[in-house]
Amino acid sequence: MGSDSTMNVASAPALLKDMGKKKRANRSAKLKQCKLDARREQWLSQVKSKGGKESSEGGSSPSSPLRLNSERHEPLISLEPRSRPEEAEDSSLHDSDSESLTNSPSNDCRKERHASCGSSSSGSYSGSVSEEEEDSLDDWEAIADALNSEPAARTEPPAVLPTPPKCPPKPTSMGVEGIPRPTSNCRAWRPDDAFRPQSLPNLSKQHSFPMNSERQFSSRPGNWTRIGIMSTPSSCPICYEDLDRTDTSFLPCLCGFRLCLFCHKKILEADGRCPGCRKPYGPVEGDVGVNVGAPLFRLSRSCSMSTRY
Amino acid sequence: MQASRARLFKEYKEVQREKAVDSDIQLVCDDSNIFKWTALIKGPSETPYEGGVFQLAFSIPEQYPLLPPQVRFLTKIFHPNVHFKTGEICLDILKNAWSPAWTLQSVCRAIIALMAHPEPDSPLNCDSGNLLRSGDLRGYQSMARMYTRLAAMPKKG
Repeated sequence: MGSDSTMNVASAPALLKDMGKKKRANRSAKLKQCKLDARREQWLSQVKSKGGKESSEGGSSPSSPLRLNSERHEPLISLEPRSRPEEAEDSSLHDSDSESLTNSPSNDCRKERHASCGSSSSGSYSGSVSEEEEDSLDDWEAIADALNSEPAARTEPPAVLPTPPKCPPKPTSMGVEGIPRPTSNCRAWRPDDAFRPQSLPNLSKQHSFPMNSERQFSSRPGNWTRIGIMSTPSSCPICYEDLDRTDTSFLPCLCGFRLCLFCHKKILEADGRCPGCRKPYGPVEGDVGVNVGAPLFRLSRSCSMSTRY
Repeated sequence: MQASRARLFKEYKEVQREKAVDSDIQLVCDDSNIFKWTALIKGPSETPYEGGVFQLAFSIPEQYPLLPPQVRFLTKIFHPNVHFKTGEICLDILKNAWSPAWTLQSVCRAIIALMAHPEPDSPLNCDSGNLLRSGDLRGYQSMARMYTRLAAMPKKG
């Protein structure tokens, strides 16, 4: 833990100096960055002590590196506007236990950050520190939320890369991005974690998306051609009844349009054309009965057409 | 008979579930007869039918979905492929190009597409078809717009 904190403190000023070089012109943006960085440190130290608590409780050891690693991306997140108001109750959970744990270390850490900030960003910064300190507590929840929502933001690229004109491009954060991060695929929260925000999208939800049979068989125009190509539907697109095992192994047409045997028989009796490609069901079938019957079906179709139209 | 009823019932449920998805189409089943439906469709934008709401009447045969539903306009519309008096629609998918995989919802979409892309070469409304075939696009559009205003828009009190 001690080594972690020193590493983070050491790396952060480097980031800042880099920032300062790039954006000497944009004072306000720099100030903002310093402020956010300070809060990041504060939050970091809190989480660290919490992480220590967790591991001492017998939680799996990877949990704390996971958290730390996710914090590395924090400069990206901290600048983005608070996007998830619905996580408010969740962050309050965080606050209640973390603040009681670590108030003094976080303060120390913050002072240290300010000192380094002042050195890196020339002068003008120090004056505004005090007033920013005042609203820092107000914004505290927002920052915590932004951090909480970080794994969610990973899955939603538009949320990760906001491009407000005020916000300067951040080569440093890009460098952080560039770090190979096996952890970004993992989640900082386990699914059963009590602190896991409700609004975080489930990975399982994403996986299930392409397999979502409800949407797939909604029988929109043009959709039914896709059904045949993509996968076996779970229900017959004609009668909407579930397909049983015989039906799912039944492939009456080369176009891949599947339907239940019952509907297929009815179509053969009436129209004789595949609903998917409108070509007549033909010798492809390999069924003698169908071959014999095929001309008959056409006849019946023309009959029905003539009577109706 | 039974199969068509079951299918229509499932389409009904589908329509209820997807009501909010497609705001251009409002499909309603008759309270007492599942073989009678009505639909309200919005005239497609950038056509003379824009801003109008058109009512369609569906009459569904017992052999549905093997046979297509019979659809006609209840709202008067000036369109080459719609009979001006009866509202009958000349659309291939309602005739020989029907596929049982189509639904009432998709028929509505096809009709909206037909409104945006008239086929003047197989006209049911000869006046409209002749205007388009003679290249008088303005004439066709102004007539169609006038009837849209007269018949398909709410009266302004």
